Amino acid sequence: MSRNRDAESLFTRRAAIAASAGGAIWAALLARLYQLQVVDGDAYRKLAAENGVKLDLAPPRRGDILDRFGRPLAAHRRAGRISLVREQVADMDQALAQIANHISLTPERRERIKSRAYSQARFVPTVVAEELSYEDFARMSLHAVDIPGVSVEMAATRSYPRGRDLAHVLGYVARASERDLTRLTDGASRPEAAAVRRLFKHPDMRTGRSGIEFFAEDWLRGEPGFRRLVTNAAGRVIEELPSDDIAPTQGRDLSVTIDAELQRKAIERFGDESGAAVVMDIESGDILALVSTPAFDPNDFVNGISQTDYDVLRNNSRSPLYHKAYDGTYPPGSTFKMVVAAAALEAGVVDPSERVFCNRRYWFGNRTWHCWKPGGHGSMNMHEAIKGSCDVYFYEIARRTGVEKIAEVSRRFGFGQVWDLGMTGGRGGVVPDDPWKRSVHGEQWYEGETLNFGIGQGYLTATPLQLAVMTARIAAEGRLITPNLVGEGPRPDADIPFDGTFDPEIMQRMKAGMFGVTSEGGGTALRSGDLGLGGPRLAGKTGTAQVRRITMAERNSGILKGDAIRRELRDHALFVAYAPTDDPKYAISVIVEHGEGGSSTAAPVARDIMAEAMRLNSRGTPAYTRTASVSSGQTGDGAP
Amino acid sequence: MSGYADYSGHSYSARAPASVKFGRSGLVEKFGRMPWGLVLLILAVASIGVAVLYSSTVTNPVEADLPMKHAMRFVMTFIMMLVLALIPLKIWMRLAFPAYLGTLILLIGVELFGSTGGGAQRWLQIGPVGVQPSEFMKLALSLALARYYQMYLGARAGGFWIHLPALILIMMPAALIFMQPDLGTTLMLVASGGTIIFFAGLYWRIILSVGTLGILGAPAAYFFVLEDYQRARVETLWNPGADPLGAGYQIEQAKIAVGSGGWDGKGYMQGIQSQLDYIPEQHTDFILTVIAEEFGFLGAAGLLLIWAIILGWAFAIALRCNSTFGRLAASGAVATILFYIAFNAGMVIGLLPVVGVPMPLVSYGGTAMVTVMACLGLILSAHIHRDDKLTATGII
Repeated sequence: MSRNRDAESLFTRRAAIAASAGGAIWAALLARLYQLQVVDGDAYRKLAAENGVKLDLAPPRRGDILDRFGRPLAAHRRAGRISLVREQVADMDQALAQIANHISLTPERRERIKSRAYSQARFVPTVVAEELSYEDFARMSLHAVDIPGVSVEMAATRSYPRGRDLAHVLGYVARASERDLTRLTDGASRPEAAAVRRLFKHPDMRTGRSGIEFFAEDWLRGEPGFRRLVTNAAGRVIEELPSDDIAPTQGRDLSVTIDAELQRKAIERFGDESGAAVVMDIESGDILALVSTPAFDPNDFVNGISQTDYDVLRNNSRSPLYHKAYDGTYPPGSTFKMVVAAAALEAGVVDPSERVFCNRRYWFGNRTWHCWKPGGHGSMNMHEAIKGSCDVYFYEIARRTGVEKIAEVSRRFGFGQVWDLGMTGGRGGVVPDDPWKRSVHGEQWYEGETLNFGIGQGYLTATPLQLAVMTARIAAEGRLITPNLVGEGPRPDADIPFDGTFDPEIMQRMKAGMFGVTSEGGGTALRSGDLGLGGPRLAGKTGTAQVRRITMAERNSGILKGDAIRRELRDHALFVAYAPTDDPKYAISVIVEHGEGGSSTAAPVARDIMAEAMRLNSRGTPAYTRTASVSSGQTGDGAP
Repeated sequence: MSGYADYSGHSYSARAPASVKFGRSGLVEKFGRMPWGLVLLILAVASIGVAVLYSSTVTNPVEADLPMKHAMRFVMTFIMMLVLALIPLKIWMRLAFPAYLGTLILLIGVELFGSTGGGAQRWLQIGPVGVQPSEFMKLALSLALARYYQMYLGARAGGFWIHLPALILIMMPAALIFMQPDLGTTLMLVASGGTIIFFAGLYWRIILSVGTLGILGAPAAYFFVLEDYQRARVETLWNPGADPLGAGYQIEQAKIAVGSGGWDGKGYMQGIQSQLDYIPEQHTDFILTVIAEEFGFLGAAGLLLIWAIILGWAFAIALRCNSTFGRLAASGAVATILFYIAFNAGMVIGLLPVVGVPMPLVSYGGTAMVTVMACLGLILSAHIHRDDKLTATGII
C-alpha cells in the first residue's frame, strides 16, 4: 500500500508540475499576444493599412474641344480595355492563352504584347486589347478574376465625333513617344520630369501631336490624381475607396469659333475636289469654317496608325495630311487685283476713270505679256478692269505703282503674315520685293517681275486664310480685321505688327468692283452672284493660279485645258467673296486645286458655302465666353 | 495479481461498476453523468470555428461551402464523441494495443504507398477516403502507453527499465512520421508521449539528462537531420524580415494581421489581412490570425481562455480517475490537445517555427477534428467511468 501511496503522491506531484507547465505555456502565449496586439498594435495597424490600400495613378480626363455652338468636336469615349501587369502575372504565356480563350488574340499579337510587356518596367500595365465590344468586355470582366495580374477596365479614350471634318484644325492625340516625352519634360526638374514620364506611361494618357491638340496641350491635359484601391495579396483590385480629395483635375474644355455644321456642308460641297475654304465673320474676325479637303480621320491616330495606312495617306496625290487652308501657299492670281488697284490709288499713279486699252498684249522691255481674254478687253477703267479681270490694265498700273508700294499694301492686307491661330502650322507665303529677291535668289528685282506681281502671279504666294482676311478687310472698308480660331482657350498673342490704315473711299471702289464681278454685265462670275436666298447677293473676285508656265507655242495653238493635260498641271481655281453686298457679314476664300477656272469651279463652291453660312446663321452668338489673348496655354479664365 | 489497479484503495459504494451494466437503463444513467458544462464549452469553441471560417472564406466563392462542411463534420464527430464517452474504459483498454498496431501498420503503408500533399507524404487512400494515420497515432499512442503502464507500473514502479518499452512505443511512430516528413506531428507525439511517461514517474535525473542531450543535440539535428525547408522555417522565426516575400511571408503577414487587431479587433468580417487573402492557409492552420485581427486581443485571449478551462477541467477528470489506464490515457488526451493549441498559437504568433499544426475545432480540416473529438470522447469516458476497476492485464 505504501508503494501505492508513493505512486499516488508521485502522480499528484507530477500533475501539479505539468499543470504549472501548461499554465506557463498559456502565459507565454498570452504575453506574446499582448505584445503583438496591444504594445505593438499601432505599428502593425500601419503595416496592415499599407498592405491593403494602394495609391493608383489616375490620369486626368482631357478637356473636350467644342465648336462655336457647343457641339463636341473632340470628346472622350468610354471603352473597355484589358491590361496586364507583368510582376503580377505568374506565367505570361498561360495568362495570354487564357485571355485568348475569351477574345480573339492571334499568336503574333500575343508575341507583340509579350515583348512590349518585357520592354517596360514590371509594374507598368501593358495593354492587351482595347476598344472591346460590349460582349467581349462583359465576358472578360467575368473571367479576368481567374487570371492573376490581368484586369479589365473602362478607359476614357479620345474620340473625334466629326471624323475628318476638322482633322487639320484639331489635330490628334497619340501615345507619348520618346520624342514627345523629351519635349514634355523639357526644362522640368528631375522629379517633375519623372512624374511626367510616369503619367504618360499610363495606358489612358495621350498627348497632342498636331493642331489645337498640340498647341493647347497644357490647357486640355488637366492634373493627374490618384485612386485609393484596395488590393488583395495577388494585387487584384477588390474595391475603390473614396478618393475625391486626391482625384485628378480634369482638363479644361476649349471652344473654337468654327460652326461645325457649316464646316461639314462646305466639305460636302467640295465633293471629290481637293482644296480649301475659309469663312470669316467680318465683324469679329471669327473663323467660321476652315476647310482643307480631303482630310484624314484623327480617330485612326489615337491608338496608333499602322505604317501601311499612314503611307497611303502620305502618298495620296491630294495630300490629305496637308492643311491647305493654313499651310498651303498658292499664287493668288486675279484675286490679288484689288490689292494692286488699292496700292495704285494710294500711290496716286492712276485715276479710277483713266482708261487703258487691252488688245490682249502688253509690251514691256523686250517681252510680251498676255491678258487671259482672247481678243482682249478693249478700253477699260479701273472698275471695268476689276470686273472683267483685265490683265493688261493691271500690268500697266502695277508698273506705274512699283513693287515696293504693292508689297507694302499687300502686307497691310495680311499677306506674308503668319496668323498664329493657336494650332500647329501656319505659313506666311511670299510677298516679293527687291530685298527679298536679293536675299533669296541673290539677284536684283527686275521691273518685268512687277507685272507678274500685278496679276497675283510670279513669286507671290498666299494662303487661303490670308485671302479671306484680305477680303474681310476690303468688305469692312479698311477696318483691321484679325482672324480668331480659339474662342475659349489658350489664345495666342495678337501681336500683329500693323501700321497704317486703309482709305475707306478706296475700299468702297474695290467693293464696287467686286460687286461688278458678280452682278454687272461683263463680270467674270455673273452666274454666282445670287445666293439663292431670295435677295442677298455676294460680291467677289475670281482668280486662276497658273501651275505651269505656258509656252508661246502653246499659247498660239490654244492653251491646253481639262482632259488634255495631267490633273496636277491644271490651274488652281480661286474665288474670294463677301456677302451680303449691302451690309457685309461674311468673307470667304475658296481654292479648288487644279480646278482650272475661278469663275467656273471656285465661284459656285464659294457661293453655295456662303449661302449655307447665311442660312445657318453661322456667325450667331457663340456658346462660349471669349478668352482674352494669352501668349500660350497657361492662363485661367479670361475676360470676355 | 499485481495490484496497481486497486492501489487507490477505496471500494465502490452502493453503485455497481457502471461498465458492467450494458442494459438500456445503464446507458441512460451513464449519459446523465456526462459533464454537460464541458460539453457546452466544446460546442462553444466549434461555433467560434464556424463563424470565423465564414469570415475568412466569405471573399472567396470557391471556399463558400467550407463553414458548412466544418459544421457538418463537427456534428458528426460530436455524435462520435458522445458515443465514445459511453464506451467503458475496459474496452478502450482492450482496443489500445490493436489500435496502436493498426495505426503503425498504416504509417508504414504511408511510407510505402502514401500520396503526397503539400510536399510531404502523409495521406493514405483507403477506398474512397483519404486518411492521415499520423493524426490517429496521437490518440493511439496515448492509449497504448496507458495500457502498457496499467500492466507494469504497480509492480515495478521504481525501475528505469520499465520505461524503456514506453520510449520504444513513442519512437517507432515518431520516426515514421518524421520521415514523411512531418515535424509538427513528430514533435506533438514526442511531447504528449513524454508527458505520459513523465506522469508514470520517470526519474528526474533521466528527464534532465534527456533534456540536456536534447538541447545539446538540437544544433546537430538542425544541421544534419532537418530538411532545407524546415531549416528555412526555423531561420524565418528569428528573422522574418529577411525575406518578407519568400519564406518569411506567411509569418510576417500573420504577425501583421494579429498585431493590427489591437485590443478589440476590427470587427467581424472587417479584417483587412483576412478578407484580402494576404495569409496563405488562413482558414486552416492560420485561422487564429482571423480571430486575432477581427476580435483583437480580447478575442484571441478569450479563445485561449476557453481552451484553458476545457483543458483544466479535463485534467481534473484525469486526476480523479481511479485506474492508472484512465488517468494516463486521459492525461495523454489532454496533453495532445494542449500541444495542438500551443504549437498552433505559438507558430501563428511567431514563437515557434511554422510546423503545420491546426487549431483544434477551429481550423478547417477533418482528420484533426476526428482526433481531437476522439480525445475528448476518451476524457468524457474517463469521467463517466472514473470509478471502474481495471485489472492489470485487462482483457488480453
